[in-house]
Amino acid sequence: MLNLEVNIGGLRLKNPVMTASGTYGFGKEYSEYYDLSQLGAVVVKGLTLKPREGNKAPRIAETPAGMLNSVGLQNPGVEAFLEHELPFLRKYNTPVIANIAGNTVEEYCQMAEKLGSQVDAIELNISCPNVKEGGVAFGTKCDSVYNITKNVKQFCKVPLIVKLSPNVTDIVEIALSAEEAGADSLSLINTLLGMAIDINSRKPILANVVGGLSGPAVKPVAVRMVYQVAKAVNIPIIGMGGISSWQDAVEFILAGADAVAVGTYNFVNPAAPIEIIEGIKKYMDKNCYKNLSDFKGKIQAC
Amino acid sequence: MKNEICELIYNREIAKSTFEMAFRSENMAAAALPGQFVHLKVNEGLYPLLRRPISIHRIDKSSGVVAIIYHIMGQGTEELSKKQSGYIDVMGPLGNGFPIIEGKKCAVVGGGIGTAPLLEVAKNLSDCDAYLGFRNCTYKVEEFEKSCNKVYVTTEDGSVGYKGYITEQLEKYISEYDIVYTCGPKVMMKKVVDICASNNVECYISIEERMGCGIGACLVCACKIKEENGDWHYKKACKDGPVFNAKEVLFDA
Ligand SMILES: Cc1cc2nc3c(=O)[nH]c(=O)nc-3n(C[C@H](O)[C@H](O)[C@H](O)COP(=O)(O)OP(=O)(O)OC[C@H]3O[C@@H](n4cnc5c(N)ncnc54)[C@H](O)[C@@H]3O)c2cc1C
Ligand SMILES: Cc1cc2nc3c(=O)[nH]c(=O)nc-3n(C[C@H](O)[C@H](O)[C@H](O)COP(=O)(O)O)c2cc1C
Ligand code: FES
Repeated sequence: MLNLEVNIGGLRLKNPVMTASGTYGFGKEYSEYYDLSQLGAVVVKGLTLKPREGNKAPRIAETPAGMLNSVGLQNPGVEAFLEHELPFLRKYNTPVIANIAGNTVEEYCQMAEKLGSQVDAIELNISCPNVKEGGVAFGTKCDSVYNITKNVKQFCKVPLIVKLSPNVTDIVEIALSAEEAGADSLSLINTLLGMAIDINSRKPILANVVGGLSGPAVKPVAVRMVYQVAKAVNIPIIGMGGISSWQDAVEFILAGADAVAVGTYNFVNPAAPIEIIEGIKKYMDKNCYKNLSDFKGKIQAC
Repeated sequence: MKNEICELIYNREIAKSTFEMAFRSENMAAAALPGQFVHLKVNEGLYPLLRRPISIHRIDKSSGVVAIIYHIMGQGTEELSKKQSGYIDVMGPLGNGFPIIEGKKCAVVGGGIGTAPLLEVAKNLSDCDAYLGFRNCTYKVEEFEKSCNKVYVTTEDGSVGYKGYITEQLEKYISEYDIVYTCGPKVMMKKVVDICASNNVECYISIEERMGCGIGACLVCACKIKEENGDWHYKKACKDGPVFNAKEVLFDA
């Protein structure tokens, strides 16, 4: 019997495939394409304490094998989420992970407190490149990562995942700071800061000028970062960035990820997470692996 | 709902750089409403990565066929135009579509490729005129003639129909209408909305925003929608739209 179960710092998943925050709304849209109970977990759109309208359009620019977005954390706020969005997701037998972002450490703490144990885990978004205040500002320096993780952890009744930004010089030291401050697990990567220009109008394509790069184009960077962080920390890792197939997911697991998340590719193939779960099963079957730990992090030494 | 791998029936050039494509899908043809769109994967690879939103032009429920018309704008539509046979990956029908309000005198007002989604609107209305504006070459005018009472055509160079902009024609007869349905370039739609507003004619517009998921999950397709108290907030062009009552739309974005 294949066992795809995995424990991500106290969060038990029936399989290692989840959805990436911001690419999956609050699950409703994709529930028309398949049964959400099949997923390892659903990670919802980044939440803030108060509702946010987000940035001006255009908010998307397509780039080679990827895309830039500058949504800017448009969301109904944590209370409206609990009241109007969470009940729907609770109809499914799938853990729900809330992704939170704030302007101040206090805001993050208040959100963690409000969410309490109504969600199954909290993902600390200190890596959103699309908002001026907060977001990535918390995620690029070791002492601020340590500080915010430590503080939020005190208010967090469920496992705390810290989501790392790739827009740093050394992701390993950031990961170690989060671990030291008490993070139960890490997720990486968020989007890479990028830009695209319309050569005819000579204007940036995004109204926000810059945005976050995601999709297959970022995958090698993400795999490298997961590999480096996995070697350095002792807490579980959720790997993401450009996953479009089961082969990509296996690559992340070999690099050291305990679980994976599918983001941008949901837009291309709504059934991608489900096909990836099936593909991982076949790969395990073919290689006579019984558990994910049989191949997690097992790249040949070089 | 599902994305479906549909059999391509034809894909042919109907005017310079403008193609009509038809594919077979019983489900989509059965479900589709005028003004809805499909989200197409133009090839199997990762480049271009994202799907392309294209309005539904014609729905043939009896044969289970859906047709679209598209203009080559960049790499995605260029790739699409090269497909000669085989299959195409389609999500749809998506979006809300135009409200079909019976018992009223209606006009559809389209500019260029924006005429495409209006054919099904015209076909579903019993009392409808069409205003079709093109730059130089026209297409599908005869289809509108089959379903409309009067069809006004303009070209910017005067090669077919009246010379000038279609809004100049609409302005002459606007007082005859109760409802106007429009789709086309932003400048044209803005003008149509103004004409309707100053003549108290109800107006529905189909807006274009760059899209990611096409189903309401990613929030990249934001458009500004007015509230009654004068505030505004962002709605999703893909799911709340692409059709909005013109009164609600703020054009500045
Ligand atoms: C609801 C809706 C209905 C549409 N219906 C039609 C139609 O019936 N016929 C038709 O020819 N075109 C239609 N369009 C516009 C069409 O989607 C774009 O022309 C097409 O995506 C351009 O892709 P490209 O790769 O050729 O161009 P590129 O400029 O290379 O595209 C780059 C990126 O920008 C996006 N993009 C570029 N222009 C537009 C645009 N005007 N609107 C939305 N996204 C854009 C593309 O999807 C792609 O992600 C519609 C758009 C929307 C939103
Ligand atoms: C449109 C869009 C919105 C996103 N919003 C969020 C967000 O609200 N919070 C967050 O932590 N990450 C957000 N992300 C980042 C993704 O969760 C993910 O980390 C990143 O896109 C890399 O994965 P991918 O290449 O599979 O998309 C967003 C990404 C996209 C494309
Ligand atoms: S395109 Fe994703 S929400 Fe509209």
